[in-house]
Amino acid sequence: MTALFLRLIVRPLLREPLRTALTALSVALGVAVVLAIDLAGEAAAGSFRSSIETLAGDADLEVTAPGGVKADALGRLAALPHPLRLRARMEDYATVTATGEVIPLIGLDLIADALESAETAGNGKPPEGDVVWLSSSMGRKTGEKIDLQIHDRTAAYTVAGVFEQKSRIAVMDLALADRALRRDGKLDRILVWIPKGESVDAWAERLTPVAGTSATVAPQGARTRENRRMLEAFRWNLRVLSYIALVVGAFLIYNTISVSVVRRRAEIGVLRALGASRAMVLGAFLAEAALFGIVGGLAGLLLGRVMAEGAVGLLGATVESLYVSSKPASIALTPLSAMVAFAIGIGVAVASALSPALEASRVAPTEAMARGRIDYLSRVRTARDLLLACALALAAALAAQAPPLSGKPVGGYAAALLAIAAGALAVPALVRMVDRLASAALGRLGGVEAMLAMRSLTASLRRTSVLVGALATAIAMTVSVGIMVGSFRSTVLVWMDNQLEADLYLRPAGAASADRFPTLDPTLPDRLAALPMVETVDRFRAYPISYRGLPATLAGAEMKGRARFVAGTAQGIESCDCAMVSEPFANKHGVRVGDTLKLEIAPLRVIGIYFDYASERGYVIVHRNTLLKYLPDPAPSNLAVYLKPGADIEESKRAVESAARGLNVAVFSNRALREEAIAIFDRTFAITYALEAVAIVVAVMGVAGALLALVIDRRRELGLLRFLGAARGQVRKLILCEAGLLGLLANFAGTLLGVALSLILVFVINKQSFGWTIQFHRPVGVLLGALSLVYVATLLAGLYPARVATSIDPIRVVHEE
Amino acid sequence: MDTPVVAFERVSKEYLSDGAPVTALREVTLSAGARRFVALMGKSGCGKSTLLNLAGAMDFPTSGDVKLGGESTRSLDDLALTRLRREKVGFVFQSFQLLANLTAVENIELPLLLARSERARERAKEALHWVELEGHESRLPHQLSGGQMQRVAIARALVHSPKLLLADEPTGNLDTATGEMVLKLLRRAVDERGATILMATHSLESTGVCDEIVRLRDGRIEA
Repeated sequence: MTALFLRLIVRPLLREPLRTALTALSVALGVAVVLAIDLAGEAAAGSFRSSIETLAGDADLEVTAPGGVKADALGRLAALPHPLRLRARMEDYATVTATGEVIPLIGLDLIADALESAETAGNGKPPEGDVVWLSSSMGRKTGEKIDLQIHDRTAAYTVAGVFEQKSRIAVMDLALADRALRRDGKLDRILVWIPKGESVDAWAERLTPVAGTSATVAPQGARTRENRRMLEAFRWNLRVLSYIALVVGAFLIYNTISVSVVRRRAEIGVLRALGASRAMVLGAFLAEAALFGIVGGLAGLLLGRVMAEGAVGLLGATVESLYVSSKPASIALTPLSAMVAFAIGIGVAVASALSPALEASRVAPTEAMARGRIDYLSRVRTARDLLLACALALAAALAAQAPPLSGKPVGGYAAALLAIAAGALAVPALVRMVDRLASAALGRLGGVEAMLAMRSLTASLRRTSVLVGALATAIAMTVSVGIMVGSFRSTVLVWMDNQLEADLYLRPAGAASADRFPTLDPTLPDRLAALPMVETVDRFRAYPISYRGLPATLAGAEMKGRARFVAGTAQGIESCDCAMVSEPFANKHGVRVGDTLKLEIAPLRVIGIYFDYASERGYVIVHRNTLLKYLPDPAPSNLAVYLKPGADIEESKRAVESAARGLNVAVFSNRALREEAIAIFDRTFAITYALEAVAIVVAVMGVAGALLALVIDRRRELGLLRFLGAARGQVRKLILCEAGLLGLLANFAGTLLGVALSLILVFVINKQSFGWTIQFHRPVGVLLGALSLVYVATLLAGLYPARVATSIDPIRVVHEE
Repeated sequence: MDTPVVAFERVSKEYLSDGAPVTALREVTLSAGARRFVALMGKSGCGKSTLLNLAGAMDFPTSGDVKLGGESTRSLDDLALTRLRREKVGFVFQSFQLLANLTAVENIELPLLLARSERARERAKEALHWVELEGHESRLPHQLSGGQMQRVAIARALVHSPKLLLADEPTGNLDTATGEMVLKLLRRAVDERGATILMATHSLESTGVCDEIVRLRDGRIEA
């Protein structure tokens, strides 16, 4: 068996090292992308414990509340006649003014909980004044000064000590944190340690009534788990997207093994005649695929680890702007993730080789010796495949109607896969149709070379179909994601036109995040309203909350702007305990107008669902007066300033900045805010472009490898053309025409399939995963650009095979038969 | 005196086989005038095919000169050699060498299309008619018999009216009766179309239609 494998499989592979390398590389890239996205996703999503959870220890329970836990709750819990250990915490973020870096800021009761590893200035007693302790990774020394911006104010702090910690964080005493964070005695969390061996749930139940009306007592780490759950859809979709390169790779493995089988039919026949069993032949070809899987998988592990470094930055930025404050953790290539990626590589390679390997095992000795290419060609059953394609397309349409399964758009994924399979099966019919309809025109336009190229592609219909299928799948992905992102982008632009009506917007300076809501000086709105050019000021205050186990945002607004509603309105919101919710929130939690949201602060009746594209976390918006009734902190997180008609924007911006002097406030004009929003949007989707690029690279490599195989298989024919008067340039043109035709066919099929996939992406997968309504839009310019790029890449892929074709020695190849 | 269609002047050809030099032709001098049917006879490996390749401007001699219509191939670049082949040379092979995915008429018009000649289809049909295969235009090679395939190959070799037709064992893959029919067709090409033919063969019976027999042995012309 080993000898059979070595002679039948390994030796021919070594004879064509470039093609072998290209096939292995396609598997490697597929595996690498899957691994990179997995590792980068884990690093980006797995960083919560390392940032805000730092120093939380291994508490059993945590007490939280929207807007903070009142300090008296700590007293009540401490007064209980139980052996509980409690630790109060304030948690927020500070910006290091010198670098602009945002770091977690944790307030601890340093007298009660002296930092074990801190080299404090005193003996466990915190020094007086504005002092902070910094983690060693910050690279500061005791006694140094550091400027930190907390909310909208910057102050100098003395480094009182440095403690060993990988995460970059700052710690201050609770009393100082209370002042700097303007918490008014409210704590972000109270950590609770219960007696060993006792039930966490029972203690949570026992402590809930003591903690206060709006407080929640939950196992510690609930927030991390909620964040992870929230990120699940994002990571799922990214993971699915990362598998596309592998699917493209699967096409190419299928093609490689098919070519192997076709070329060696006679050899297989001889071997069968000499006593090789069907199982041995099957095993040999499956082993060939496995060999590609092993080599590609190993290379993919290394490549994936490198690619993850690049991906983690992109993913981290997306998580930060759309979901939650996060600093990517370091990438950890665990044995499990390595094994999974490796197994996927081998699995996909073997599975895609199964059909041609089975075909090889069914070769009868006499059949292989007597027949050959014509027999092979006849097995492409175009009409049957087209019928099957129609059936699969219908099944895709049905699957797209299915509701989400456990919050995941499983029907959408199935629909996409079925559509890809339908597309692949329809390709032979497309190639035949183009041959019939356009062959003559091709001959007139591109000369005899184009005619011969089309004939050659039609003659190798199965191989051509697989190649076109692979390239079309990659193109379809580009087209569909391009349409989805383009549609999303134009929807967001229209939404911003409607939503962003104010002339100036203010927020505390520093990097923004979806779950950080630093506040502004409460007196600032009145100072701004007093400016002569200001018509009115809208105050907006947001709090991170948890709703049904998922993070969300509760906000109070004065509703001076407009909103477009999916359902209901905001009419009367100022005079009732009611709320309007964003579309992603409504879709995520199945909320409808008229429902009541049971929030910790109060039950709120939903009177409207509005279009919103600011954050996937989802908003619950009440009138500012309602919010102040339950959370009486007047400090706003954001301000929208409406100017009087005719007021000069730049002049007004300067006046506003002047009114906010002494505060660290960022003032954006309407235009600048839109630009920033679009920049965040584009950054969010940068990773999808990277994934598309890899899939295209894999497909183009496949085209190069397959064209090379075509050249090698047709060397006699190419040599003969030289005998018949073809110049070298004509042979080169012939191969480039084949590459060009492959590109054209793939562009055509890929665009059709891409439009179908984009419908699934926009109306099924996006809607079920994220809950956004996207207006369908055709970004024709961008798509034409992308398609042209792919086309040029395909032509370039033909250059090397064309060079090989022109260097064929016609005398040798024509006479070698 | 008329310029010979093809002339070999003290032509030698060496090539490397597994790194060792092999002499395929030694000091061969030979010429064929217009409308001559010359048979090259000899055992396998005697240099027949090498001589045909040199005559067809597919290869260069190691020494000596090959002239086609008086023009030496030695001084020509690849493109000029290609032009020379397009205008002056036609090839017929033992194994027909038709392109499997082109019909009979498409195979025949191929040299014309490659040379960007006018009226390619019309001339291809005429050639098909000349080899008595009218009605077979749309057949693919696998739908033709061996004899029909070789007739299509001859039509393809003659479609651009070359002065020189090079036939390498044209009857080698055919039965006797079909082989005779192909030889008669080649004779007609000389008589009716004015072609000069160099035909490599190892069969004495095939030389019956020829005007001249040249015997090759170990790369030399036997006296």
